[in-house]
Amino acid sequence: MAGHSEEHSAHAHPSDRFYWIVAGVLAVVTALEIGLFIVNEQHLIAKWLEVTLLLILSTIKGAAVVMFFMHLKGDAGIFKFVFLVPLAFATTLLLSFMVLFSDHVGIAG
Amino acid sequence: MAIAERTAGTVSIPVVNVRPGWAGWLSTTDHKRIGIMYLVSAFVFFLIGGIEALLMRIQLGVPDNTFLTPDVYNQLFTMHGTTMIFLGLMPLNVGLGNYLVPLMIGARDMAFPRLNALSIWLFIFGGLMLYVSFFVGGAPNVGWFAYAPLTQKQYSPTAGVDYWIIGIGLTGVASIAGALNFIVTILNMRAPGMTLNRMPLFVWMQLVVAFILIFAFPVLTVATIQLLFDRHFGTRFFLPNLGGDVVLWQHLFWFFGHPEVYILILPTMGIISEVLPTFSRKPIFGYAFVAYSGVAIGFLGFLVWAHHMFAVGLGPLANAFFGAASFLVAVPTGVKIFNWLATMWQGSLNLTTAMHYAIGFISMFIIGGISGVTLASPPINVQQTDSYYVVAHMHYVLFGGAIQGIFAGIFYWFPKMTGRMLDERLGKWQFWLMLISFNLTFFPMHLSGNAGMPRRIYTYEADMGWNLWNLISTTGSLLLAVAFLLFLWNVVTSIRRGPIAPADPWDGATLEWAVSSPPPVYNFAVTPRVRSRRPLWDQKYPHLREINSGHGMSGAHNESEKRDGFEHETSPAMEPIHLPSPTYAPLIVSVGIMILGFGIIYLSDFGLIAASAMIVGLLIMAFGILSWVRISHVDSPHHAH
Amino acid sequence: MSESSMTRPPTAAAHHTSLGVDNRKLGVWTFIGSETMFFATLITTYFVFAPVNRARPDFQDPRKFLDIELTTVLASILLASSLTMVLALSASRRGDRRSFTTWLLATVGLGLAFIGGQVYEFNHLYHEGLTLSSSLFGTTFFVLTGFHGAHVAVGVIWLLSVFFKVRAYPDSPENAMDVEIAGLYWHFVDLVWVAIFVLVYLI
Repeated sequence: MAGHSEEHSAHAHPSDRFYWIVAGVLAVVTALEIGLFIVNEQHLIAKWLEVTLLLILSTIKGAAVVMFFMHLKGDAGIFKFVFLVPLAFATTLLLSFMVLFSDHVGIAG
Repeated sequence: MAIAERTAGTVSIPVVNVRPGWAGWLSTTDHKRIGIMYLVSAFVFFLIGGIEALLMRIQLGVPDNTFLTPDVYNQLFTMHGTTMIFLGLMPLNVGLGNYLVPLMIGARDMAFPRLNALSIWLFIFGGLMLYVSFFVGGAPNVGWFAYAPLTQKQYSPTAGVDYWIIGIGLTGVASIAGALNFIVTILNMRAPGMTLNRMPLFVWMQLVVAFILIFAFPVLTVATIQLLFDRHFGTRFFLPNLGGDVVLWQHLFWFFGHPEVYILILPTMGIISEVLPTFSRKPIFGYAFVAYSGVAIGFLGFLVWAHHMFAVGLGPLANAFFGAASFLVAVPTGVKIFNWLATMWQGSLNLTTAMHYAIGFISMFIIGGISGVTLASPPINVQQTDSYYVVAHMHYVLFGGAIQGIFAGIFYWFPKMTGRMLDERLGKWQFWLMLISFNLTFFPMHLSGNAGMPRRIYTYEADMGWNLWNLISTTGSLLLAVAFLLFLWNVVTSIRRGPIAPADPWDGATLEWAVSSPPPVYNFAVTPRVRSRRPLWDQKYPHLREINSGHGMSGAHNESEKRDGFEHETSPAMEPIHLPSPTYAPLIVSVGIMILGFGIIYLSDFGLIAASAMIVGLLIMAFGILSWVRISHVDSPHHAH
Repeated sequence: MSESSMTRPPTAAAHHTSLGVDNRKLGVWTFIGSETMFFATLITTYFVFAPVNRARPDFQDPRKFLDIELTTVLASILLASSLTMVLALSASRRGDRRSFTTWLLATVGLGLAFIGGQVYEFNHLYHEGLTLSSSLFGTTFFVLTGFHGAHVAVGVIWLLSVFFKVRAYPDSPENAMDVEIAGLYWHFVDLVWVAIFVLVYLI
């Protein structure tokens, strides 16, 4: 890890051109998401498939922001640790609560 | 050890700009002063929490007692729990950590000294806000876990719950800021050679706790914000008649609440892991196991929260999962206990007061741990939930465990912090009185609990069969109070005329004993260079180094490194000592945040006045932040040179 | 956290850290980790209540209230602000003060535009009958997106403070790091919107 960070401080930062390309990809993915959302208002594909595709597309977007705009890719390992571990906890929180509260629509339901 | 003094001549000792008297404390950014402020203020809150417990015990001493009204009783048990957890145990651990972590890793201060000052002030103001509630309509009376829907406005119309939310919120921000500070300090400010696997175990446990804190506290923050919105702004998160869900509150609260238990106990396990080796005159047995079992406990702590909710009826699958995960916690905990026992085994024990408390910790914690294992089983738990058996369990863990561990730490490090020795004889009297009265107070609760006595009742009838156990508990609690008076007497007299403490009174192994007692404001005149886990022992007893670095794990890698346990940096680029200037900015920001908090509490009832208070608070905050930014620029090492 | 990081030669002693990374940057990343749990809890609450909302007599359908066009504009604004932010950082590292100023102020402007858009959206929804107390959707939606908006506002203030600091002390060697850590927070706020956008508005 430490070797990595030293290397990082030495090597050059990405060019502005690269950031514009990343932004372009983000724009395209966002357009795809919205396109999918609008097109599937006619229920062309199953809801679960739409949701899966949307989640995949958003994951790509989020990963691009974290890796390239926040420079987590190639940065020191400790930054990955203090971000990805809570991200894993957060995902666990969300999924476990969705399991715990499934078939459960409160007292009013 | 006169190393610091001897080498001090070769570097320029900084002229430290400390303001005299009270101003020095109000504007301090020194981790040692902040640590002492944490310890003193937490101990005051701790005594208040103890008095609350005492009042409850007096009420319960005999059946059908009318010493307290039911409502006052409810306020007292709520404030007792909240105080002991958020304003007592947690900050006592933070105080010790604040004082010792930089010293133990060979640093001059915490990574963010001004943020550290912000933490102490937010903690103190948060605690004060909680206690203001007693004078403005009544303290919160809903339990420290504040279950919904009892906390909603229609059932709790006073501002007590709001003060609870804001008070906990301020201490929560303080805790998260403090945890960030610990993480960066421990990961990034270690002296050369102080690798992670050479760090003192106390530092290891503080690191684990800091991570637990930053993962767990935001969940509580969100839950309390949602509760605040329910009470004031028309939302319905926890209002079942409108579709809200009271069980969601329980899940969110305990997702935070169970890791919180480990936030309380792990630092004291770290203390024990420092005290036992010193007074057994042996290295800790199985260093890596003690460290990583702490990590394992911290991790498992996030997977067991629903064992506080077995009585809710989560269904067999969830109960089985959370029960099994809770049993698992016993494994790393047991690992630690066996390591401690093996550390003492065949050691040449030096039975100081600190050592008494360390051994007391182990024995009482085992009892609490075993009752904890019984409670992890869903069918048993359903029988004993909300009974005094649970009260007995948690006090064996948090009093018999955590408090005794903290006393071990105080008796161990008091000489370092004050330059005076505590009275050992009086300390041992206190220990035995405390141990006996602690067991008198809490052991009978196992029995009254099993006899069916529920928690949080303000009185009971004479024919329930609980009279004897309650009378014993109350007697024990009065004796406990005497033990604490002995301690206070010990501290007050020792600070004035206790024997002067040498730098290394206990023949310690870690870096804090290498500097004078109390340490100079810059800690180390020259940054030490660390070669092993026990730098001071290796230096004092070079012939024992082979034994000391035993168990095939320690750090000495080559001949040159074996020469000495640690040495001071002698590189040509001798760095000048740079210390942060004192500043009032963190105090000002905290005052602003507190005023903002008062505004939030009364926003829906006194709109205009409260809103103006909030604006005033924000302006004060803004002013504080501005002066903060200015001083941090002027103070930065780049600017200075 | 490896051994090798401890044996770095003691060059640049004043900047020496155990892991070879900047203290403040490590602090901000850790803070971002903590904020991840904060927003995860809010999003979890939203999802726990989504089916309950559907089953209730006062059910309000998110699809009927949320406007895909406005949402697209908001999402684009924040994504664009991430680009301008990273360009500002890049200019700051080059020492190109002129384009740094341009891109940083562009980021601030986009942030303000996002807040303005959200105020418009909230106002619009309020007049349509969606409030904090109108349904479980209103309760969870406003608290989640409102706290995100508050974070954007804090980000704008943070960026402005960096702007004024750099203007006051243009030669401080800490400027690039000041910009970088403010940028990390800004990108994180954008990241949260990426999640809210898909989880609340699209699914």
